[in-house]
Amino acid sequence: MVEIAGVSRVFGTVAAVSNATLHVDRGDFLTVVGPSGCGKTTLLRMIAGFDRPDAGEIRIGGVRMDRVPAWQRSIGMVFQKLALFPHMTAAENVAYPLKMRRFDPARIPGLVDDYLALVRLAEFKDRRPHELSGGQQQRVAIARALVFGPDLLLLDEPLSALDRKLREDMQLEFRRIQQELGVTTINVTHDQREALVMSDRIVVMEGGVIQQADDPVSLYRRPENPFVARFIGVTSMFPGRVTAETPEAVTVTAGEATLKARGGAALGAGAAVECAIRAEQIAIGPRDGAPRFENAVDGIVRQRIFEGERMVYAVEVPGLGGAVLNVFDHDPVSHSVYDEAQPVRLEWAARDLIAFPAGPAPAVTTEHKPTGSLTT
Amino acid sequence: MRGSLSKRIAIWGLVWVSLITLSLPTLIVIGASFTAGEIIRFPPEGFSLRWYGELWQLDSFKAALARTFYVSAICTAVSLPVGTLAAIATVRYRIRFRNAVQVYLLLPFTIPLVVSGISMMIFFGEIRILGQLWPVGVALCIINLPFMIWSVSASVNAIDPEIENAAMNCGAPPLQTFLTVTLPAVMPGVITGGLLMFILAFNEFLVSLFLTDSRTVTLPVQIYNSIRSVITPDLAAVSVLYIAIALIAVFLLDRLVGLDIFLRSK
Repeated sequence: MVEIAGVSRVFGTVAAVSNATLHVDRGDFLTVVGPSGCGKTTLLRMIAGFDRPDAGEIRIGGVRMDRVPAWQRSIGMVFQKLALFPHMTAAENVAYPLKMRRFDPARIPGLVDDYLALVRLAEFKDRRPHELSGGQQQRVAIARALVFGPDLLLLDEPLSALDRKLREDMQLEFRRIQQELGVTTINVTHDQREALVMSDRIVVMEGGVIQQADDPVSLYRRPENPFVARFIGVTSMFPGRVTAETPEAVTVTAGEATLKARGGAALGAGAAVECAIRAEQIAIGPRDGAPRFENAVDGIVRQRIFEGERMVYAVEVPGLGGAVLNVFDHDPVSHSVYDEAQPVRLEWAARDLIAFPAGPAPAVTTEHKPTGSLTT
Repeated sequence: MRGSLSKRIAIWGLVWVSLITLSLPTLIVIGASFTAGEIIRFPPEGFSLRWYGELWQLDSFKAALARTFYVSAICTAVSLPVGTLAAIATVRYRIRFRNAVQVYLLLPFTIPLVVSGISMMIFFGEIRILGQLWPVGVALCIINLPFMIWSVSASVNAIDPEIENAAMNCGAPPLQTFLTVTLPAVMPGVITGGLLMFILAFNEFLVSLFLTDSRTVTLPVQIYNSIRSVITPDLAAVSVLYIAIALIAVFLLDRLVGLDIFLRSK
């Protein structure tokens, strides 16, 4: 449905997007996620036709978009600040794309009603945008983007301005409508949670470069580089060195500890690595307990935060060069609670520790230096 | 308000003093215009519409009033497209020499009206249009244009810069985008600015003094001429006319834009 091949865009000396290649299948919900300034919005604007790539090409439905102006593309877009037309009612906003795209005037009122009903806004059709709540304005913007049956729907962080509860409701609402209509969708966000909740596929961007594209579960389970590991999920990192390697497992020394990590990366013995471990994969327990997993280090609780459904610990591990590991305990009801300054033992399975080649890997920018410190 | 009694008295006292000093001259002139006597005085002697009647009999007044409407209409008609496009262009688009253009457009405001009046008199004389009425309207447009530009700029600044992209995304080509989205969205500023330009032109005295002669004299200049001879209550009646026109403008502003929006100066 959408093919993006080697697309680059340079502003002055800054490469906002470098050599981006990705594709979106018909009916898919793809999310481009990354920190602000990673190039995701630039990419979206080029797809919408508000900006042109300096190199590479964009094809939608097999047609090259180079010479197709924005107003001739069959794309609906929901803008970050919604960009509703302030002088038009909800119904007029939704009718606007139909008028501009020269739909049969007799069909317009019916379509407007259908789509306002789809976003559950039928009774507010005669209100102006400023007479609607944030969530209602959002729904008008969705209806306006979808009413003419676009080939592609673009979402430019439309949920970022909403409060948390409304945002989570709208995430599900977007997903419901998207699946009901089966419209191919590209969503842009900096919110990893939103990306995981809503998407069929996720593209992680950083420094204008696509870091990884995968389905949400695979992305979470098998990050391909330290940036993705850190950006998606709560991951602690610390440096180490490979001492032995088999296809199944890697042995790493980190500080005074010898650890087993997931194999398969062909790092080579002696290679410097960055180790990554997710907070929910670490088991916290007393130092005198029976060993449960291949890897065990001793630490001291530095911080404990109770979030209701989970307990969040920050544990300093002197044996890992003083690295601080984030730990989630998902059963604060039946598990012991450890207080600040209390000595504990952290354990995790070899398959959960990922060793990445250290230093600037080809696709990763260096500004995110591995520190092995608290990462949330 | 929870403040002490003395604080409330002080604040309300200040409010009332301000309101009275602001409105008293107006109220006095309205009262004086209804006098039945021969001279302007307050309180008026008796009550009559005599001076309104006399004013209406005066052909010189009626002609000057008509000319003032004509001049103000020209001023407004020129300033609407010029001011609107200039404001949208300088605020919204990254045009070349944007700052220079902005300064240039606001320049008339920094020049004393006497200087503007003299220079336009000389210039209009050179190109042989001095003595006609329409150039007066153009001149008033030039000196007051900053007000129009400010008014529209405020509206342009208040709208989401993405709405034009949104319109294009909806399938509107650039001209359609401008006509159906940009222009209506800045309309409050355009209407406010247009009314302002009309009122300013209607009141303008100094530049008109340089550019008019006895055949093209406008109402403010006519009033000036008549107070140099003898001050009669018909001048109070003219003043009331001015007050009425200002009120009509405020009324129109409320109906067309909404005073709440104007007062919040969004």
